[in-house]
Amino acid sequence: MITINKLRRSIREGIGFIKGIGDIIDAEIVASSNANLLTRLNYTSHIPCNGVEEPKSTESYGVGVYAVFKTTDGIKTGFGSEPGDLSLKGIRKSLDKARRNMVYDPAFKSLPHPSNEKSLLRGYHDQRLMEIKDEEIVNLGWRVLEGAIGVFNDTGVSEKIIIGGDLILIQERIAVGSTTGIDAYDETSLIMASVTSMIEGENTKGSGWATGICMDKFYPEEAGAESARSAIATRGGERIDDGEYNVIIGRQPVTDLMNNIIIPSLTLSMIDASSSAFLGKMRKKVSAEDLIIYDSGALPGGLGSKSITCEGLPTGRTDLIENGVIVGFLANHYYSCKILGDDEAKRKLGVDPNDYKEGFVPRNGFRFETGGGRSYRRKVGISPTNVMVDTMDEFTTEDLFQKVGNGVYIGRIWYTYPMNGLGPGDFTSTIIGDSYLIKNGKLSTPIKPNTIRINDNINNLLMNITGITRDKRPTIIWAADEVVHAPEIAMKGVKLSNIVRWN
Amino acid sequence: MFMKDRITIDLIDDIKKRISNLVTGYTKGLKGCYYADLRVEIDEGRGALSENGESRECYEDTNLSFGVRVIAGDGIKAPGYFGQVIGMADIGRIERIVKEGIDHAYRRGYSNAVAKLRAKETFGQLGKSLWDTLLAPIEIHQDKVPAVFDLDPREIPLEDLIDITKDVSKEVSSCDKEIRFNQIMASTMMVRELFLSSEGVDIDQSHALTEGLIYVVAQNEEGTQELYDYIGDQRGWEVITQGINVHEKSLCDFSLDLARDAIDLIKAEPLKSTDKEVTIVTDPHYNALLVHEIIGHPMELDRGLKYETAYAGRSWLLHDLDDHHIGEQIASPLVTAYSDPSLHGYGHYKYDDEGTLAKRVIHIDKGIFKGFMNSRQTAALLGVEPNGSFKAIDASFVPLIRMSNTVFAGGDTDPSDIISGVDDGYYLKGHRIPSISESRENFRISAVKVYRIKNGQLDQLFRNGGMTSDSKAYLMNVDAVGNDFKLYPIPNCGKGQPMQTKRLCNGAPTLRSRARLI
Repeated sequence: MITINKLRRSIREGIGFIKGIGDIIDAEIVASSNANLLTRLNYTSHIPCNGVEEPKSTESYGVGVYAVFKTTDGIKTGFGSEPGDLSLKGIRKSLDKARRNMVYDPAFKSLPHPSNEKSLLRGYHDQRLMEIKDEEIVNLGWRVLEGAIGVFNDTGVSEKIIIGGDLILIQERIAVGSTTGIDAYDETSLIMASVTSMIEGENTKGSGWATGICMDKFYPEEAGAESARSAIATRGGERIDDGEYNVIIGRQPVTDLMNNIIIPSLTLSMIDASSSAFLGKMRKKVSAEDLIIYDSGALPGGLGSKSITCEGLPTGRTDLIENGVIVGFLANHYYSCKILGDDEAKRKLGVDPNDYKEGFVPRNGFRFETGGGRSYRRKVGISPTNVMVDTMDEFTTEDLFQKVGNGVYIGRIWYTYPMNGLGPGDFTSTIIGDSYLIKNGKLSTPIKPNTIRINDNINNLLMNITGITRDKRPTIIWAADEVVHAPEIAMKGVKLSNIVRWN
Repeated sequence: MFMKDRITIDLIDDIKKRISNLVTGYTKGLKGCYYADLRVEIDEGRGALSENGESRECYEDTNLSFGVRVIAGDGIKAPGYFGQVIGMADIGRIERIVKEGIDHAYRRGYSNAVAKLRAKETFGQLGKSLWDTLLAPIEIHQDKVPAVFDLDPREIPLEDLIDITKDVSKEVSSCDKEIRFNQIMASTMMVRELFLSSEGVDIDQSHALTEGLIYVVAQNEEGTQELYDYIGDQRGWEVITQGINVHEKSLCDFSLDLARDAIDLIKAEPLKSTDKEVTIVTDPHYNALLVHEIIGHPMELDRGLKYETAYAGRSWLLHDLDDHHIGEQIASPLVTAYSDPSLHGYGHYKYDDEGTLAKRVIHIDKGIFKGFMNSRQTAALLGVEPNGSFKAIDASFVPLIRMSNTVFAGGDTDPSDIISGVDDGYYLKGHRIPSISESRENFRISAVKVYRIKNGQLDQLFRNGGMTSDSKAYLMNVDAVGNDFKLYPIPNCGKGQPMQTKRLCNGAPTLRSRARLI
């Protein structure tokens, strides 16, 4: 990993160099260094296996330049990057590429300027995580397995056990500077374990996860143990009939729906493309009265927290849904400017954006690399950080069970997709574990995994919310950038279909 | 030392000379090192994106990455990996960088073996399945495979890409007032991959790759239609400009056709679900996604062996080494399916990413399940021969078992006869979005267009519909297979952790079976 001081030095030299170039109106330089260390697990009691299957990492560092050129054909913008070179030569090469790649984009207004908001986080990374050794990352993976195996051994379960998942450690350093006055940097580390345990002979599946930004408070064996306990608890699963059910969706399904349907629909670039389940619905009610959703990039101790965006702007709280009404969208600087000057904005939003500028503050401009890291190689996109799903109510999990009375608890879903594009809101998903019937306000018989598909519409689900717990837990799912601080949510009339009667 | 001022695929020759001894010599001196391999990859590419008739962005750039696998240990062995993206400034010190990468992978592999040996004791009965990592043997090849193209991607001016995407996007924008948004993308690149192993494998493969994408949104008071589709092939710029692709259309004609589909669809009625199965005819484009989801994925042996339990799911075809469906009937005798990297298309290659000479893998032969795509490690576990299906999207990533060109084989019935043989049914044309259950035993896949079939003729058009079925039930009910086989590019198959989004091909003819509409 490259030190933050080296990254900042590269930016300073680059800005000084670029300021002297006549045809450049403005430029933004980003220098970053990232490592994604991942220990992938595959334990099977009935098939020979490695246990820890892949201790691995991908690493990269370099610089990127986004420049605004004055040309005889008008103002043009271009982006270029150079890996492995933080010197002035690397900046020059990036700039040459930016010049070669420049185009006229009428929607481009300006590069970001320093914000009046302040960065709320500083020095929040863990030096131990930044300096972890090869042997430690391997051993952390084995600790996850030890947690799960310990539970199976203690309970005498020894047949057809599967333990899969991973332990991920992400190390990120970034510095951003611009000729418009941005001068910012950030250093982030996070660690998480996500585990699935199965007793395959009984077709039961359990999930467990652990997250942290500090090694001293991270206990990977607990993620393994949690998944094993859940797998054991869901033995003896049964099928249910097709129909509409009152349900409670657990933290993983809440996160899955947020990641695949709701948050994309609350992203300004998707509104710009007329591709959102919430097209034309700003300031309109889209869910039951008590739902609150906001993104909290500067949440102290939050797994998805960052001090600055990859545009060098402070992170912070962006309100998205307030008491069931859409009040804002995730934005970066480009789309924040574009929507305010878009002739079609009223059709896309349902309101004039200039009347609600606070709904488009660019607090979510990130350059996330596949699997984590803040990439110098990518242009700025829009990504969530810590998604908070909240309520003004004071319901406990027990309250929700009482409200539902008889229904279904859905603990884990999979392959959630908007079947006809995001616009119509239709989606489907399979229930794959951690799920039960609810009888007389209590958890009852487990539901057999992979036998139920949800076929419904997100607008129906949100409008049929009947309760949300106050208690939330940071939850992650496969291949997602964000962490969802997920409650459990009760809904009425969710459409479930019985599938696969032969396997 | 050969030095240039920018990365080109020619650099592989210099890199190979300087680092090959690290794989074949240096690793042999590492205590307990059983096996090592090194992959190096360079791509030179360019692309452009236009939106609503205006240029949005373009790029002309190169990427260089490497990845290392080491299997090491004393008494018991285990794997370790390392990957890195590097740049031109790293070329002068590449021996040191690659050696450090090998050292990381070795330390991870060796310490993994130590921990595995310890776990074999402390896990008790559950420690017995921890094995001594093995790779099934392969033939040792040294080979150089050239790229196939008419118009070299490296010689296409970036301005050509900008102009064509902008022009096509303008045409799409002006095609109808209800087209609210469109993006047109075109890219072309040359890729060169080097594979070296401590066993003496030395493979140097190149390929060209060209792709065009359209994403279009139409909207009226009835709702929105979002459609996207691709053209592409492992060939040069001729894919875009000369219609040398499966659709046999230029990017412009291809894009305008999809835009017109979106306009037709916003005027169509939404499809109503059915409670019972109906007769459904599906076209080759729809079936390309169907074979991807219900044949390709469950035929990946890493899923069968549970490696993907926490991510992309398992396979209903294998419960354990003694309990599986190999040799059993799982489809109608009319159904044959296979993966074949030797077919020309997005999934073409001669050797996979562990140097195995790839070959056609028959999955279903006249309804009987025959076998999986595999890697050297998973082949050793199942006691079969490696078939060359281990691929990564980039040398810095660890390979996974992936589809190549995975297809339903063509039949002998004219597709018009398949439709005309239906008194009352539906015709699904073009694939859209899939959702599949965890072990691929059930699916729901939406179609671009759904037509009612009445008395053997296509009738009313519906929007927002598709079909759902249990996979085996659908396969067993196939009663007609068309003679109109086509192979389509699929550029976005996701698998792995971190996610690897891979390009591959899926193909099929027209099929007729039974399923529920949804």
